[in-house]
Amino acid sequence: MLFEVKGLSKRFGRIAALADVGFQVRAGEVLGLIGPNGAGKSTLFECLAGVLPSDGGAMHAGGRIVDVRARRSLLFYVPDGIAPWPEQPVRWALDFTIGFLGGRAELREEVVEQLDLGELLRQPVGTLSKGQRKRVLLGIGLLTSQPALLIDEPFEGLDLRQARDIAAALRVHAARGRTLFLSIHQISDAARFCDRFVLLSNGRVCGEGTVSELAGLSGAEPNLEEVFLALT
Amino acid sequence: MRSPRSPFLWLIDKECRELLVSRAWWVLLLGMGPLVGLSFIGAVRTYAEVSGLNGTSGGVGEALSPLIGVWAPTFSACELVAVFLLPFVAIRLVSGDRQSGALKLESQQGMSPLVRIAAKSLVLMGGWLVAMLVPFSAILLWISYGGSAYPPELVTLTAGHLLNAGLTIGLAAAMASVTEHPSTAAILTLSVTVGTWILSFIGAVQGGWWERAAGYTPAALVAEFQHGLARLDTVLIAMVLILAGLGLSAVWMGLGTDVKQRVYRSASVVLLAAGSIFACTFLNASWDTSESRGNSFPETDERALRQIHGPLRITAHLAQEDPRRADLESRALSKLRRVMPNLQVRYVSATSIGLFEQTNAGYGEIWYELGGRRTMSRATTAEGVLESIYSLAGVKPPAEDDEAVFRGHPLARPAKGAGTLFYGVWPGLTLASGLLVRRRFK
Repeated sequence: MLFEVKGLSKRFGRIAALADVGFQVRAGEVLGLIGPNGAGKSTLFECLAGVLPSDGGAMHAGGRIVDVRARRSLLFYVPDGIAPWPEQPVRWALDFTIGFLGGRAELREEVVEQLDLGELLRQPVGTLSKGQRKRVLLGIGLLTSQPALLIDEPFEGLDLRQARDIAAALRVHAARGRTLFLSIHQISDAARFCDRFVLLSNGRVCGEGTVSELAGLSGAEPNLEEVFLALT
Repeated sequence: MRSPRSPFLWLIDKECRELLVSRAWWVLLLGMGPLVGLSFIGAVRTYAEVSGLNGTSGGVGEALSPLIGVWAPTFSACELVAVFLLPFVAIRLVSGDRQSGALKLESQQGMSPLVRIAAKSLVLMGGWLVAMLVPFSAILLWISYGGSAYPPELVTLTAGHLLNAGLTIGLAAAMASVTEHPSTAAILTLSVTVGTWILSFIGAVQGGWWERAAGYTPAALVAEFQHGLARLDTVLIAMVLILAGLGLSAVWMGLGTDVKQRVYRSASVVLLAAGSIFACTFLNASWDTSESRGNSFPETDERALRQIHGPLRITAHLAQEDPRRADLESRALSKLRRVMPNLQVRYVSATSIGLFEQTNAGYGEIWYELGGRRTMSRATTAEGVLESIYSLAGVKPPAEDDEAVFRGHPLARPAKGAGTLFYGVWPGLTLASGLLVRRRFK
């Protein structure tokens, strides 16, 4: 197990965005965080990464509580829908990731090739389309050196072919031992790509496990969509 | 394999790039040329007229101090730009990361928000120094006309404008971090600036603590430096305010901290700053770097005044808005405070304008008290005040040192080439550089 989350909670005024959330993340797995819009997926990632303060709960690794500062060496979070450094070219954004965020320079060329970023290198990030920007964000995430990578909606804005290519690229990195924790609202994408799942609905974890484990839990057919509908 | 450059240098690189692609900064540079040009050409023309150009009689003394006649008006363009344009550059650089979402990525690096805001401030100050190349080029132009330049007063003047820019950057950074949107930050920054003007106005009308507080506003700070005066309390208070602004910015820039914690930390910063400012007000060291010694009595008088050790009390029956009070302050008391730290000044008046107090028996009297003896005078000139003090202390007035009197540096030359430089070359250079640099960095 890479880390475990216990009792994580977050409120926005009267609304409980996360309530007593707990689950485990295993080293080298591709874990899918699935749930409908507004389930609290992004909030969960932001709390884990320490970019949003949580109201309660803790992360444990190796039998110890991992505070927010220490999490920075354990995981890196790639948010959805951002356009960082919009005036700067993609090439510089990748170099900055390596230089400032402590990324791995030896992966640069490989990531550029895997995500088909070659033609975008000279373009400012702010001028990219939604799908192109998503690929750049994934590139930034893949270049970082933390053992766990949390990606919010990795396939959002991508067409079918791109989604498949990127899934293959992510698989390569997962096969090398990198843990991927992906927030996905498209159940079909998640079913195709992830090893295990955490089901989140209204800020609560409704289930955790492989499709068959979840099917057993819910009594539904061993199909992620059916399991999701049964548990949420 | 990691990058050989340190994360801080990468951050500096990033901030430099962000500044270079910032339209606000290029607009600031573009505006600086004509503004400085207008001030410089007007100042040189007036200086030449006072010096005897076009048949007018030659002037003498402080009227022909380049600091007062040329540099103060020329550099005043920097004050204008610092108030109205620099905040936008600073806000853009500070809030840009939050707007684009880059802050969420960068904050995961673990670098302290204080270091990150320090990097932004360093780059902004660098950007401001580039903008100050315009008034610096005016100095070179002036020297090429055969004009005199006294380095200590120019250094003081530059330092004053750098501190003023620092205050703007500190304020704008704090506002940009506290607020969600840059436009709100811009409105709040300008509101604070207008607030300091209102404070100056109230200080001029009400006097007392208001006047004291108004003495530490950016406008007052710049005015002192423009006269070649560097006061330790003013400099330290400005630095405390800059650090407080950057501290507040760091508190609100950091992600992952709840609002209550941020409010507590902000309150701590404000309390610490308030305590430091209060402590600084007790410091009275100052340096008159002007060539004309416009902020000081003649050296012979200063030596004589230093021999008087007892506390000197001055009670002036002059209303706040009475012009004689302003004369007394600028010509004598401001200079006296620098030499006699034990000086206590009290103003007495029933009204703020004093117009209807003129017929009162004691109005206009200035009472001096030293070692139990008292004397009264109505003179508001430096000579009149010194005469009263010497007679009260039983000290023989020193003989006037004719050689030490500042005679000024008359220069009756037109501002040749200034129009071309500031209205043509500088804007052209800025536009060309802006286009080239933006293309290079994109």
